[in-house]
Amino acid sequence: MKRKAAETPADGDKEMQSTESKHSQDEGERPTKELKSDSKKSSNAGLVRPLKVSNKELYKAPTPEELNQLKETESLFHCSLLKMQMEELLKEVVISEKKKRLVDSFVLKITELLHSVPETPVVELSDTTWLSKAEVPFILMPKSAKGKFHMEPPASVALIGSYPLGTCTKPRVSVDLMVTIPANVIHPMDAINQRYSRKRALYLAGLAEHLLSSKEVGTMQYSCLHGNRLRPVLLLTPPGKDGGSLTLRIHACPPPDFLKPGQLHPQKNKIRTDWFTGIDAPQPGGPDAPTPHYNSTVLGDHLPGAHLQFLCAVRDQCGAFKDTVALLKVWLRQRELDQGSGCFGGFVASMLVAYLLTSHKVSNHMSAYQLFRNALHFLASTDLTENGITLARNPDSTAPSLSDFHSAFQVVFVDPSGHLNLCADMTAHTYKQIQHEASLSVQFWDDPTMDGFQALLMSPKPLIRTYDHVFQLCGLSKLQSACKKLNLFSELMDHSGNYIITALPLLLSLLQRGLGERIHLLVHSLPPSPEWPVTSEPLKHKEQPPLSFGLLLNPEHLASALEKGPPADSPKAAEFRQLWGERAELRRFQDGSITEAVLWEASTACLKRLVPQQIINHLLQLHADIPPSCVRYVGGLLDNVIIVREESCGTGEEESLKVVQCYDDLSRKLWQLEDLPLSITSVQGAHPALRYTQVLPPVPFKLSYKQFDREKRSRALLPQDGNPCPVYITPIKVICHMEGSGKWPHDALAIRHIKAAFHIRLAEILKNTHNYPCHPSATHLDVWKDGLAFRIQVAYHREPQVLRELLSPDGMLLMRDNLQAQALEMDTQHRTLLTSTLHGLQQQHPCFGAVCRLAKRWLGAQLFGADLCEDAADLLVAHLFLHPAPNTAPSSPQVGFLRFLHLLSSFDWRNSPLVVNLNSQLTVADYTDIKNGFAASRESLPTMFIATPTDRKQSIWTRDAPSVQMLQRMVTVAAESLHVLEAQLTDATHTQDVRVAFRPPLDVYDVLIYLRPKQVPLVGSAVDPPSHEPSRGAQEGAIPGGVLPVIDFNPVSLYLTELREAFGDMALFFHDPYGGTVIAVLWKPNTFPPLRFKTGTMAARRVEVCEDKVSTVPNVEAILHDFSVLGEGLVERVVPRTEKWVV
Amino acid sequence: MTCIKMWDDNWSWTPLGHGVCVSLKHIRNASVICDDFAPPVIDIKFTQNSPAAHQLLVKEHKVRVEKTASRPLDRTLFVLNIPPYCTEDVLNRLFVQFGPIESVELKDKPSNPEPAEPKLSKHFTPKQKQGFSVGYIVYTKPSGVTAAKAHPQNVPLIVSTEEHPVKTGLQKWIHQYSRSLVPPDVLQQAVDSFMNDYDQRKEEEAERKKKEAEEQEEDEEGWVKVTKGAKGAKARPHSEAADKKALEKEGKKTKRKELVNFYSWQHRQSQREHIAELRKKFEEDKQKIALLRAQRKFRPY
Repeated sequence: MKRKAAETPADGDKEMQSTESKHSQDEGERPTKELKSDSKKSSNAGLVRPLKVSNKELYKAPTPEELNQLKETESLFHCSLLKMQMEELLKEVVISEKKKRLVDSFVLKITELLHSVPETPVVELSDTTWLSKAEVPFILMPKSAKGKFHMEPPASVALIGSYPLGTCTKPRVSVDLMVTIPANVIHPMDAINQRYSRKRALYLAGLAEHLLSSKEVGTMQYSCLHGNRLRPVLLLTPPGKDGGSLTLRIHACPPPDFLKPGQLHPQKNKIRTDWFTGIDAPQPGGPDAPTPHYNSTVLGDHLPGAHLQFLCAVRDQCGAFKDTVALLKVWLRQRELDQGSGCFGGFVASMLVAYLLTSHKVSNHMSAYQLFRNALHFLASTDLTENGITLARNPDSTAPSLSDFHSAFQVVFVDPSGHLNLCADMTAHTYKQIQHEASLSVQFWDDPTMDGFQALLMSPKPLIRTYDHVFQLCGLSKLQSACKKLNLFSELMDHSGNYIITALPLLLSLLQRGLGERIHLLVHSLPPSPEWPVTSEPLKHKEQPPLSFGLLLNPEHLASALEKGPPADSPKAAEFRQLWGERAELRRFQDGSITEAVLWEASTACLKRLVPQQIINHLLQLHADIPPSCVRYVGGLLDNVIIVREESCGTGEEESLKVVQCYDDLSRKLWQLEDLPLSITSVQGAHPALRYTQVLPPVPFKLSYKQFDREKRSRALLPQDGNPCPVYITPIKVICHMEGSGKWPHDALAIRHIKAAFHIRLAEILKNTHNYPCHPSATHLDVWKDGLAFRIQVAYHREPQVLRELLSPDGMLLMRDNLQAQALEMDTQHRTLLTSTLHGLQQQHPCFGAVCRLAKRWLGAQLFGADLCEDAADLLVAHLFLHPAPNTAPSSPQVGFLRFLHLLSSFDWRNSPLVVNLNSQLTVADYTDIKNGFAASRESLPTMFIATPTDRKQSIWTRDAPSVQMLQRMVTVAAESLHVLEAQLTDATHTQDVRVAFRPPLDVYDVLIYLRPKQVPLVGSAVDPPSHEPSRGAQEGAIPGGVLPVIDFNPVSLYLTELREAFGDMALFFHDPYGGTVIAVLWKPNTFPPLRFKTGTMAARRVEVCEDKVSTVPNVEAILHDFSVLGEGLVERVVPRTEKWVV
Repeated sequence: MTCIKMWDDNWSWTPLGHGVCVSLKHIRNASVICDDFAPPVIDIKFTQNSPAAHQLLVKEHKVRVEKTASRPLDRTLFVLNIPPYCTEDVLNRLFVQFGPIESVELKDKPSNPEPAEPKLSKHFTPKQKQGFSVGYIVYTKPSGVTAAKAHPQNVPLIVSTEEHPVKTGLQKWIHQYSRSLVPPDVLQQAVDSFMNDYDQRKEEEAERKKKEAEEQEEDEEGWVKVTKGAKGAKARPHSEAADKKALEKEGKKTKRKELVNFYSWQHRQSQREHIAELRKKFEEDKQKIALLRAQRKFRPY
């Protein structure tokens, strides 16, 4: 018997191999490198080991320099690690000398080319026939324009922006080249009616036309600066293989003193209404409205040179300037704030650092680390939407005042000239987002238990994984009518017809008003700068990708379906009615007040979480004429995977709450029991259902007795052979600690018998006082209460200790750990503690349970249920809530689940312990302790190490599983699922099936055992449930009393236990515990090679005599037959997939 | 429990009277030859129609070290690789054809017969593993063993027949479930009988202790009878934990007496320690960074 050669790597593990093969199928070339490094050969290479430094080294006399350095790191950083990390990061983003040479030579070539642009005859401005190939990068609306234009070689070509400043960073190195338009091409009156902007675009088109014929240029595209359609730029890349890494941006600019900045004051009008509308009659509203955005666009073109000069002067003063800007750029980029319209780009970041330096808020001698920190602190504490800042020392008399700026723009940061607002296009919401991010970052930085570096600079924060709910506006052309509806004509003119940017601020403030306290933060994606080839026309506004918005929910106010407004007679009532339209109604409340109110339809927690969707749909429709079909709301798409009942549309919170209430009642009744020989000291839950994290929360059932057999004496129900398997009733485990007393025997066996006696006694009393059907057994007591089954287990707190005691031959009492004691401790102590702790967490974070249930559903569906126990999975999710950096704690199941997948797939399980600081019991010293202990004995610790305050050294929940191979597979599958899900959730083009991430790939397994759905009790809750579900003798509802139903009878799990006991040595068995109808079998790699004959390793093998040796090989035919024999009645068919292995 | 190795790692099937061993070399050869002999194999099928069969390996029971009454060497048949659906009853039924059987014992793996412990009721015995097992079949006469070994391989034993169906799968689990519903009074009886037994044993022990203590006491004339005493019966009950605690206490005491930063050398020492600590941390961090750099962990995107 042999594996086919192609499938058998020389020394590889079977699982490993299957992981990788799956990989290559699924995603081609993506991250296999890391996995490979884990193979046996290099298993020790990437591991942190305890360091041995000789004493001589440690205690030698320090030099003063070294002393200073050590002291500095001690006082400035939490540890020298952070400092070194930052240095490494800077090394990664800085441009290499080689790249610089490339840039310089390319710039030189292009400059020469530009100077050789031929002159063209003078033509009318609207005449573009002189361009043969290149198109004009400008949306010519309205079409008419006065003026003349001709091409002429540029007056000068100069480098501007980050490259000459030295703050240019990788990746996507872009170098800015300013081409000055000769003064006789433009006219001082051109500032009016976009004439200047059109000439600028034409000039660029002329340059493009010239460059098209050159071989020095690789690709050539148009784009526009920060999404501003009035400021097109020309993007050039060098030819050949360097093309991808370097972009040259060509800006056309007027001579610096072309227009007087005073002319472009934000309160002046430069676009005439009659021209813009094409109607000659002036608007009745008096003089034309000011066009501040247009003015600042034109003004911005005059100043790049001056800005560069200013920044260079600042840079020369402060040594750490460049590094600080680089860090800020990385920080902004990770938060998707540095690109697009109204962004906080690298240029504004440099200006901010310059502001801090010139206003002496920071000193020139500070390190990059300190400057960066101060910059974040400044952003967090300063509200530029209220109190703008200015870099101008003594602005001239024509410069606008700060209040002028505030009245025209939402965010104000004035440049050194005093005339230009650097943040003219930024919305107030973007600035709020920056503030929020900055204050979060400062907070993470101050927390010594946290890896600030990772959270601040290394973790990307895509919208979909950062915000609780996300929605997209598709069909952007609808915004055009929105502008009309919102009466935004003059603003539209100011933005030269860009209705997206025009409508955005108003939509945002509208939604902000409507969502009010339900959200912490409303953000929007920055409209990206489009790029298009020089030979095609510019993209229309409506062809842009959809706008995305993110909501950070406030769970405290999320629970109410009612929006309570002002009293009916207050003046604010009218405003309220105006906002909500017909939805506003007068309501009388219990306290007697009569107020305006809006009531949303939401009966369950799941629907209440989605009230923002209703609000957004309603407001957009009412005020902006945007129909709900254009709003693609991504907030609850994953919910239907964990929906308990189709009709009620609840994700299980309500059911879990009922279970907990029922348990509370039982526990109260247990406390009140009398006539027990020893009193009860505690009643504790030890089941996921009691902490809201059970994937399928138990639902009360009422049974129809016809479908069952009866036990003769107690009349308890029995499953009937031939009928479908009865409904699965989950036993909810409850641990009942009895008082410690001298009466307890000091002997393990005797304690077991006493516990059984307690079970019998408790059953008697419960039956007599409360008429609950009970069934005591040696290990537990089953109680049937209100349609739910509770499994009470009596515990004695000294029992684990008794189990550990051992008498040495010379009479010494030894304590030796053993499996039995560990298992008992796990059940009676650790699990109860975890249950109550996580129950508390659920009270703080209402969606904790739902995230756990999604996560466990996914683990089950991907067949990892046996490898990561429920408690460990819950702890992983708890980590997301307790240590949410770089985000805030999730408030919707969807974002929580995405972050769970991200955590699972990106955490460095090999080199770091995952610390879950439950109840914040761990101090900084404890953290170091845990980390040191981990590093010292990594090899002997579980692959997945989770430390909690009560379990710092062992990681009890992951002690046995997962194995290295399974963890690797889990990481791979999680990464793949995350990739698929994020793509689906962000892709607005069509709705897709999110369940794809919950369907396991079965092609990697060797044998598939298909089960008969009729005998799989949970099949109705499967990810893809069958259309017809047979009656299982139960319906929802509860009636007290009755007889004991069939509790905890699941043929599938019984079958799996038998399979694992019989064949666990040679194969792994995988199954989805939540209604899966397939058991997947994977042979272990060491199963097939013939073994020498030994009595100990004979199970399920057959003898083979070959030459003069007796060896054994697995008896595969018999094993496959056994699969169906052991599962008689349950197994439908056994499918060996022999294409992977041969017999 | 000490586990005595009963079998050689390779089960040597030494035929009697095969070759005369003269030299060491010969002996070695002989052992190689031994492996030529296939172990006696009996096929076992679940039903007559089963497409595949498992192989039972049978052999007379042989132990070098220990002899026990429950497994007499000449009459015991040792069976390997018994499939999970074969219970002791089934095995009895299958092997009775070779001769009358005295007892059948199933084990997870080859092991010594367990010493008789206080008999536990079946409700309290932990569940047996349902995997492949080994069996010891004791025949009343040695001829049973030889007959079994002589059974031809191509005549398979059938586990489940028309007359004696063996339940597996769903039927078995339903049966198991109904068996698990033990009436409380039966359970109570088991508990009571065990606890009575336990109390009795405890009493006896207490009696014995008391007697020993009495013997240790002085008699009227002030004499103490010196005896060897029972193992483990020391005057002071001591445990590992208590010993450790005492040691710790001692350590703390000496530490408390120490003066810190009293002499100038102590001060110097602590400063030196501080710098060494910082250096060590620095070195550790450097190592971590080197590692992360190797893994390309500093690429922000």
